Amino acid sequence: MRPIHWNMEMARLFIGGRGLGARLLWDLVGPDVDPLSTENVLIFTNGPLTGTGYQTSNRFSVTTKSPLTGTILDANSGGFWGMQFKKAGYDVMIIRGKIEKPVWIEIKNSEIQFHDATKLWGMRVFAVTERLGQSNNKRNVLCIGPAGENLSRMAAIMNDRERALARGGPGAVMGSKNLKAVVVEGKDHPSIEDPERFKFMLYETRKLLAASPLTSQALPEFGTVVLMNIMNNIGALATRNHQQTQFEGADAISGEELTEKYLVKNAACWACPIGFTRISRTEKVEGEGPEFESTWAFGAQCGIDDLPAIIEANTLCNDLGLDTISAGSTIACAMELSEKGYLDSDLRFGRADQLAPTLEAMAYRRDIGADLADGSFRLVTKYGHPELSMSAKGLEFPAYDPRGMQGQGLLYATSNRGGCHMRGNMVGLEVLGLPKLIDRFQVQGKSSFVILHQNSNAAIDSLVLCKFTNMGVSDEYFARVLSAVTGIPYATGDMIKVGERVWNLERLYNLREGFNRKDDTLPLRLLNEAPADGPSQDWVVKLEPMLREYYRGRGWDENGVPKKQKLVELSLASLVARQGEKW
Amino acid sequence: MVDERIYEMFRAIGRDLYVAGMISSHGGNLSVRLGDRVVIKRRGAMLGNLKPSDLIETGLEKNDSGVALASTELLAHRTIYKMTPALSIVHCHPRMAIAFSLSRDEIVPVDNEACYLLKKIPVVTEEFASGTPEMAKKVATALQDYKIIMLRGHGSFAIGQTLDEAFFWSSTLEEACQIALYAKLIDEPFIEYRKMSESYHKF
Repeated sequence: MRPIHWNMEMARLFIGGRGLGARLLWDLVGPDVDPLSTENVLIFTNGPLTGTGYQTSNRFSVTTKSPLTGTILDANSGGFWGMQFKKAGYDVMIIRGKIEKPVWIEIKNSEIQFHDATKLWGMRVFAVTERLGQSNNKRNVLCIGPAGENLSRMAAIMNDRERALARGGPGAVMGSKNLKAVVVEGKDHPSIEDPERFKFMLYETRKLLAASPLTSQALPEFGTVVLMNIMNNIGALATRNHQQTQFEGADAISGEELTEKYLVKNAACWACPIGFTRISRTEKVEGEGPEFESTWAFGAQCGIDDLPAIIEANTLCNDLGLDTISAGSTIACAMELSEKGYLDSDLRFGRADQLAPTLEAMAYRRDIGADLADGSFRLVTKYGHPELSMSAKGLEFPAYDPRGMQGQGLLYATSNRGGCHMRGNMVGLEVLGLPKLIDRFQVQGKSSFVILHQNSNAAIDSLVLCKFTNMGVSDEYFARVLSAVTGIPYATGDMIKVGERVWNLERLYNLREGFNRKDDTLPLRLLNEAPADGPSQDWVVKLEPMLREYYRGRGWDENGVPKKQKLVELSLASLVARQGEKW
Repeated sequence: MVDERIYEMFRAIGRDLYVAGMISSHGGNLSVRLGDRVVIKRRGAMLGNLKPSDLIETGLEKNDSGVALASTELLAHRTIYKMTPALSIVHCHPRMAIAFSLSRDEIVPVDNEACYLLKKIPVVTEEFASGTPEMAKKVATALQDYKIIMLRGHGSFAIGQTLDEAFFWSSTLEEACQIALYAKLIDEPFIEYRKMSESYHKF
């Protein structure tokens, strides 16, 4: 264990969170490193806003090389842990190497202790979290479950019991290091350089969030599952492994249904005035969620309209420490493989009873679960049908079928961590009209929106704030809050420029890993097979023209490599020069 | 060839600007950024009555034949796109706002909507307030911090992700200035209804 000396120039250029994680990973983990080997690292980062009390300043980030995709990976999460880590006085924690026997780490301000975790190894997330003394505002627990211990490439790191750093398998990296949990207690409040300006921004942000119907009404009342009917109505709800774009059972798994029959109450992360976390109850379980993507993954994507079974599958994933999106979508993929006779299993679309046993098998790598535990792409490759994995760069897509949202298609194809909806808010633009509605079938000019939102989201992930705040509050507020907290003047454009820098560095990382233009693509189903009916009838993703425009707009060459002029503009040229241009 | 969907946005917003009295017959301009390309109104075209052939596409950085036809303010639009995250620009001549810009360095609205949306609008001065590199740089620099600014005696520049959004900021500014003028004409003591309004100047 040793302290890291802070580099303020690095902080100014990359802010914190995801940006800082990417910058550190660039130096620490090169292309010869297996993500599950001792050479990979886990970098936990706060942002400058984490723990300040600004709305949704509860988030923190983890960066590593993904065992699922082989790309750079960051995942971030809310709740309380990040705030507590900040109050303990830390911004970054890098876990390197591997310890011989399982341990858990306890952090109490300057006091850091390693404890034997032999007795905790094998325990599930809820039990470990309780055992280690989770108490929201006082002591917070980050841990892995059986999925992480068994190195499932879709294993999540869970925090505060039911929140997750989920995508891309960071839980497997933690498991590979024999680290079961990190518990943190903090006492100190972070300082703010301009408290008067901060107070003003706090007040104005509260007003905006209270005024937006989305953040003050739709989300608190229905949660993110409010999107189920909206996406279904426009024909962009991926169904049965993207074989259809509308699900006949959408009503039965909608936000309205969840609220009416299963919602116990709402909950909120620290410093969040929106408060749209669902606490749901069925006859078997009570817990947080499910959010929209999880409901979709076990619902429409698997052809299942049994909401209690979906709620229970979500809770089980939290307890096992599995990413719900990848888990649900991989099961759906296996259902299609089985129905088509490519896989010898009884998995079938619509079989709600198969969810729980399959998830258990995945977390413990039993039977067919051993194949599914490593994600849909490895599964279908093994069985000779790579075209059936609904993923980009090996990361399973979330709910939005891009044949009904052209920008979403480009977003998936170019995402640095694979098929992800959190790299840019195209749902806001193409569906919800936030900030203004754009034509979801427009192709020309769509890349500009994707680029802006990728840059903006990279900046928000570096602050680190919740992207739902951005649905009521524009980027300019975040830049002003960042200036107030740090004392460093950031114009809105400066902050977005940081996001662009982060995006390009992530791109460089992936290029160094051997990814290139051929990986900026989508499954053939989305490029060639148009829905036969519904509001997206006859549409496929027109990726090529958007991608060409995207590369030009980013200042990259036709192979998707950032041009030297762009790297100079972003202060990244010296990094590449040191590295040597190996791609 | 510019997509029909993009032309339709230009046509609708251009018409609305004219109907709202925020431009003269041939004044103002609109543009959108498409990656490394810019689509802008043709020089001399009437915003209130745009035809598909009135839209000119040219490079963001590089010149081509399109620049011979583009609006006089092309340089300002290009500079704004290069220096800010803007994807759309609305430049118009809102009369009340121009009148206010003649006597103050910033316009701080008093009405609820503009306070809520804009907080404050800086006024930038440039001797040659049209088409020059100096003017382009000053306007773009101000737009790094604000989504709408006034060029003294000339007009407003607003940025957004869409033309719709930039038009929203423009019409909100003009409405704010009309209300401020009416309030001034009524000439009675102002009753403060906004909490923390003293901080608007710092926004």
